[in-house]
Amino acid sequence: MQQGGNNNEAFSLKTRIKRLKRDVNKWSVFTLAIVFFLALPIIFIGVELFSGPGETWGHIVEYLLPDYIWNSLYLVFICSILVLIFGVSSAWFVSRYDFLFRKQMEWLLILPLAIPSYIVGYAYAGIFDYGGSLDLLLRQLGLEFIRIDIMNRAGLAFVLSISLFPYVYVSARAFFLNQANNLLEASKMLGVGERKTFFKLMLPLARPAIVAGLVLVLMEVLNDYGAAKYYGVNTFTTGIFRSWFSLEEPQTAVYLSALLICFIFALILFEKWQVRKIKFTSSKTNSTQIQRNEAKGAVQWMIFLVVFLPILLGFILPVAQLIYWAVITASTVFDMEFVMISLQSFAIAIASAIITVLFALILIYFSKWSTLSTIKNISRIGVLGYAIPGAVIAIGIMIPTLALDKWLINMLGKFGIDTGLIINGTLLALLYAYAVRFLAVAYNPIDSTALKVDNSIPDSSKVLGVGNIRTFFKIDFPLIKTGVFSAVILVFIDVMKELPLTLILKPYHIDTLAVKAFEYASDEMVMEASIPSLFIIFTAMIPVIFLNKLLIKK
Amino acid sequence: MKKLLLAVATISLLVACGNDNKKNENSATKESSKDQVVNIYTHRHYEPDQDIFKMFEEKTGIKVKVINASADELIQKMKMEGKQSPADVLITVDAGRLSRAKGEGLLQSINSDILENTIPAHLQDVDNQWFGLTKRARIIAYAKDRVKPEDLSTYEDLVNEKWKGKILVRSSSNIYNQSLLASIIANNGEEAAQTWAEGIVANMARSPKGSDRDQVKAVVAGEGDLAIVNSYYIGKMLNSPDAEEVKTAQQIGLFFPNQGDRGTHINVSGAGVAKYAPNKENAIKFIEFLISQEAQQVFTEANYEYPVLESVEPVNDIKAWGDFKEDNLSLNKLGENNKKAVLIFDAAGWK
Repeated sequence: MQQGGNNNEAFSLKTRIKRLKRDVNKWSVFTLAIVFFLALPIIFIGVELFSGPGETWGHIVEYLLPDYIWNSLYLVFICSILVLIFGVSSAWFVSRYDFLFRKQMEWLLILPLAIPSYIVGYAYAGIFDYGGSLDLLLRQLGLEFIRIDIMNRAGLAFVLSISLFPYVYVSARAFFLNQANNLLEASKMLGVGERKTFFKLMLPLARPAIVAGLVLVLMEVLNDYGAAKYYGVNTFTTGIFRSWFSLEEPQTAVYLSALLICFIFALILFEKWQVRKIKFTSSKTNSTQIQRNEAKGAVQWMIFLVVFLPILLGFILPVAQLIYWAVITASTVFDMEFVMISLQSFAIAIASAIITVLFALILIYFSKWSTLSTIKNISRIGVLGYAIPGAVIAIGIMIPTLALDKWLINMLGKFGIDTGLIINGTLLALLYAYAVRFLAVAYNPIDSTALKVDNSIPDSSKVLGVGNIRTFFKIDFPLIKTGVFSAVILVFIDVMKELPLTLILKPYHIDTLAVKAFEYASDEMVMEASIPSLFIIFTAMIPVIFLNKLLIKK
Repeated sequence: MKKLLLAVATISLLVACGNDNKKNENSATKESSKDQVVNIYTHRHYEPDQDIFKMFEEKTGIKVKVINASADELIQKMKMEGKQSPADVLITVDAGRLSRAKGEGLLQSINSDILENTIPAHLQDVDNQWFGLTKRARIIAYAKDRVKPEDLSTYEDLVNEKWKGKILVRSSSNIYNQSLLASIIANNGEEAAQTWAEGIVANMARSPKGSDRDQVKAVVAGEGDLAIVNSYYIGKMLNSPDAEEVKTAQQIGLFFPNQGDRGTHINVSGAGVAKYAPNKENAIKFIEFLISQEAQQVFTEANYEYPVLESVEPVNDIKAWGDFKEDNLSLNKLGENNKKAVLIFDAAGWK
């Protein structure tokens, strides 16, 4: 929205300030306030940087850093390829074709997200283990067991991809379902074949949506700790934990986190750069949904297999392994307490999903309404939280909230009111932390749908004198509903399985399923962890199925 | 649609608040009836611990509230909470972390004749800031069909050429490995420790990965002949609900190294009273209870750990491994040398 007719003349400081004054409105101020609120933990981590790295920094650079960089790059590269293959192909087929069990597969494809990656990692290790499920199965069949070693870098890339590809699936499908129809019809009328239509038209057009999903996947890949540690792969995140806890140098850990954030920032810039010239909007987003082709015969089976493979690898196999473990450990582990904990986890996850999505909506729309062009970029700082390991975020949250708590205790103490910690160790701090951590998960799908809303409709509404907020509820919201619901599902699932942050910030009386699963898994009781893991999966399935219905029904 | 979303939001918030309120009421009523509590920060994620907490609640009427996380995170949390920390007791699964907590000024010295007199001197802090509760030995698990126990002798011998490509051990980010190397630093000096770590790396059957149980499985699968593991995992495998794991554990032998000299390296799971413990008396009572006959019995029976209380017999599976001589190195040394150990691991290329 850079104005001023001819941009050729150089800006003098004076005109810049003048422009700033002209363009600042209440929305810019609100946006800044909220960005500041959400970025506070990240800022505190950033401030730590000025105190310099710990004394072992040189040691880390010498012995460990090359390995961290190399392994992280490897994971980013391989996971990108695998995730794109799994995510885009399945999204295209379920949007474009009608085939056996399509409706069920539509939501089954989201479910791999419901299993924490480290649990998928354990499950696969269990399948390929000596004395594991595959071994037993082959022995039953009288076959020789060929041990496949999955616990290495390539295996880790596979495990992460298969459990994270739904991010790409969800955002690509939202695009195919709601944006693609007119173009498809035009393409068909011009006599262009299916394959060409997909590669030459749909894929380039869906790129922003696909890349938005991919960036989420890569942030999660870089952030993974549990699976990488178990598979013996040293990445930035395992390095952060090592320097913080084993070397007892939080400053060094912060330095590594900062490097990681630069890495992520480069990814975000890359995403922005790759969508820079693509601006296509459609005012008819809602009116027509994609028309499905009926697939028949061999084609139907081929499509079925392509779509079924990621479900099999990402959901059915790991869940089958978990169920097997659950059956053999049920007598020792199962407890009615799990039902109560499931309810708690569910409530917390839904509450934080809604809060986080609200923050994302506020950031996206306030910065839109603000005429200041740089605000949008500033608001993106808020999404960095996703790239930072949960444990580091937790510390970033504790610094300011504890300071506030101490101040409150002092103030109230003067009035003779004795309180304990008000924010820390309560749901407040936990919900705040989830919002900081998962803003990106909510922001990206909403932003990529919002990008496609033709501004002329809300603009004309405003010209007619309807305020921003009313316009939003009457016009924008119905148009971006799909994005908003996707965001709610994704944040919900992420919160359900979140671990390190929950461990540090959770109140005494609240337990989540992920915490329960971890308690077992961390002490090598992987089998016993299967029951809480299955509870996570089944609890997460409910909103996935429910909201998926909302997504496709108009 | 909006209504639906709204309805979902309201319901879930109600559930969340409902939960919260109920808990608040609970704690409120408890406080009014002057119910006692003790807040535990623990790294022990073992199911049997819950039973011990329940036993304590029944016996004393003091309510046990638990925060579970890794010791590192708990220490960080206590540091930041400072004087406001609700923690009364910190429990870790190794002495290194306890002595680190002590170094950070997070624990306090306590007077308890029971603790001081019952627990062997090398298993407790010199300043009475922490106390060992259970012992675990870092032993060598060997393939019965390929290795003669006579060929095994000490940790130091594992760097011998004859074990090239035969040794399985997990990552150096694991605290049990760090403590083992810290004990070697304390006993043999830094240079010897460096040579030892390099020697083990040279003899490794594969790049370190997985858990202690996975090392044992890899021995049986034939990937290597020896695994350096903690004793209680073998006990757990022998009693696993998975029949395959039981079979696996039965195929390996246990060897306690360094019986001819300083003894086998041991570590403890231990507890200390937090510096700013709001319920100090309860905290002491709680730790004293943990070394009582009944609690120690549960530790060894359900978790296959060696009790620190000499009058309690280890459970049968453990007893079958026989008595052994343990390294009487003061466990304070493990904490002191921990960082050095990590630096040596990195330099030696032990992942």
